Amino acid sequence: MRLGMVIDLKKCVGCYACVVKCKQEHFLPTGMNWRRILISETGEYPNAQKHVYPVLCNHCADPVCVSVCPTGATKRLETGIVVVEEDKCVGCRYCVVACPYQARSYHREEYPYFPHQGPTAFEILREKLYPHQRKVVLKCNFCIERIEKALGQGLKPGENYEANTACVNICPTKAMVFGDLDDPDSEVSKYIREKRAQQLHPEYGTDPSVYYVIS
Amino acid sequence: MGEQLTMKGKGLSIQTRNYEFMVKFTPQREWIEKQGILMLLAMFFIELGAGTFLVSSFFQNRSGMLTGWLLCGLLGGGFHLLYLGHPGRFWRMLFSSGLKTSWISRGLAFVLLFLVGGFLNLFSPSETEIGKYLLFLTNIFAFLTVIYVGFVMAAVNGIPLWNTALLPILYLVLGIWSGLGVTLLNFLASGTKVTTLGTVEHLSRLFLFLFAFLVFVYLVCVRYQHTAGEASVKTIVIGKLAPLFWIGVVFMGILLPMASLLMETIPPYLLFLLIIFELIGDFALRYCVLKGALYPPLVPTNMD
Repeated sequence: MRLGMVIDLKKCVGCYACVVKCKQEHFLPTGMNWRRILISETGEYPNAQKHVYPVLCNHCADPVCVSVCPTGATKRLETGIVVVEEDKCVGCRYCVVACPYQARSYHREEYPYFPHQGPTAFEILREKLYPHQRKVVLKCNFCIERIEKALGQGLKPGENYEANTACVNICPTKAMVFGDLDDPDSEVSKYIREKRAQQLHPEYGTDPSVYYVIS
Repeated sequence: MGEQLTMKGKGLSIQTRNYEFMVKFTPQREWIEKQGILMLLAMFFIELGAGTFLVSSFFQNRSGMLTGWLLCGLLGGGFHLLYLGHPGRFWRMLFSSGLKTSWISRGLAFVLLFLVGGFLNLFSPSETEIGKYLLFLTNIFAFLTVIYVGFVMAAVNGIPLWNTALLPILYLVLGIWSGLGVTLLNFLASGTKVTTLGTVEHLSRLFLFLFAFLVFVYLVCVRYQHTAGEASVKTIVIGKLAPLFWIGVVFMGILLPMASLLMETIPPYLLFLLIIFELIGDFALRYCVLKGALYPPLVPTNMD
C-alpha cells in the first residue's frame, strides 16, 4: 500500500480551509502549518496568471528526510506514510534543511496565542489531547491516527469519510482525492491517470506521493 | 520569517516574507540563524581541529596535535551538542539505521573514532609499532572528519549552492589550510627551528592558492548550475553578504596572505596576524555558504 493524494488545481479556490482544518485537527502550535497555500504570479499585465498551490508533505516513496535522519526517528511506514517518532528525534534539523519541499518544521518553543492573557481553550485541549514535544521536528502525517483506525475497521482509504485525511474531508470544492496509489482501481489512481496529474518537481528524485492536476 | 533578503542585479529583488515562503527564493535558516549559529561554529571548529591534528601529526608536533584534538572535541563537539534540541539523545545517532545513510551519523562516528584515537596517541608512547599503526588510523579518521561536513551539505539536493561535488573538496582544502595555520602558530609559540617552519609556510602558501582557485571555480560552477545557485552566488558576491565576502574572504583570507609573499622575510608578529586573517577568511566563507543558501521556488514564477 502506498497512500497518496491528488490535488486538482483547477478546482482549488485557495480558501485556506485545508490549512485551518489541519491546524485544528493536529492542534498545531502557533506559527506552524503542516499545510500551506503557495500563491504566485507569472507573466505581466494583461497576460498575468495567478497560480494557487496547496502544499503539504509529499510522503515521498524515496524520501530524503528518511535517509538523512541520523537517529532513524523519521521513517516510512508500510502504508507509505512518512512519520517522525518524536521520542527518537535528536533535534539536529538535518531533515528540515534537506527536504527540498520545505515541508518540515522545528518545534522550537511554545508561543501562546494571546500572550499575558492565559491559554485559550484550544491550547488547553491540545495539552490534553495532542501534546507535541518541544525541540523536535514535526510534519504532516497524513492524519495517521484516523487512517490507521479506519484500516483497522477494514475501511478503504479514500472511500469513506472516516478513512480520509481531514484536509480532504473539509475541502469545499472537492479538489483533493486521497487513496492507495498502488491500487490501480482506487479513485486516486484513476484520477491521476485520467487527468494526467503530475508530481511537484520530480527532478529531486524523491518520487512524491502527492500529485497535482495542473492544466 | 519576516526578515528580508534583498539582492540587486538584473533588476531582481529577492524578499522573503511569510507569504513568499517557497514562492520566491527562500533562504535556509535552520543552520545559520538564531541558535543555528552554533552549527556554523561546530562545523568550523570540528574541521579546524581535525585539520590541525592531521597537519601537526605529519610534522610530529605533539602540542599541535593536542590543540587540534581540543579544538575538535571541546569546541566543535561542544557547539554541536549545544545546537541539538535533545543532546541527551545523541547516542541514537550511532546506534540506529541512520549510520547507513546519514552523513551526520557517519560524521559523528568519524569524530568519535578520531577523538578516541587521538586521546590514545597523545597520552601513550607513539614510538612503539602499535602506536604508529594507531596514529595512522587516527589520521585516517581525522581526514574523514575534515571532509565529512562537505558531504553533509552536498547531500542536500534542494539547495543548489551546496549540492555540488566541489563543496567537500573546498572544505577539505579549507580544513587543511586552516590546520596548517594553527600548526604554524604552535611552531611559532614553541620556537621551532626555521627549516620546519619554512616547510609549513610553503605548504600553507600552496593551499592558499588552491583555496583561492577553488573558491573561484566553486562560485562560477554554482552560478551556471541553477537559477537558485545564481541567486545564491549573487547574494554572496554582490548582495547582502558582499561586504563579508570581499573583506573577510577575499581581502583578509586571500589577498593579504598573498601580498605577504612579496616580502622576503615575515616577522613573527606579522605571520601571527596573517594566520588570524586566514582563520577569519575560513570562518567568513563558511558563514557565506550557510547564509547564502537558497531553495528554489516550488511554484511557477517569473524567476524561472
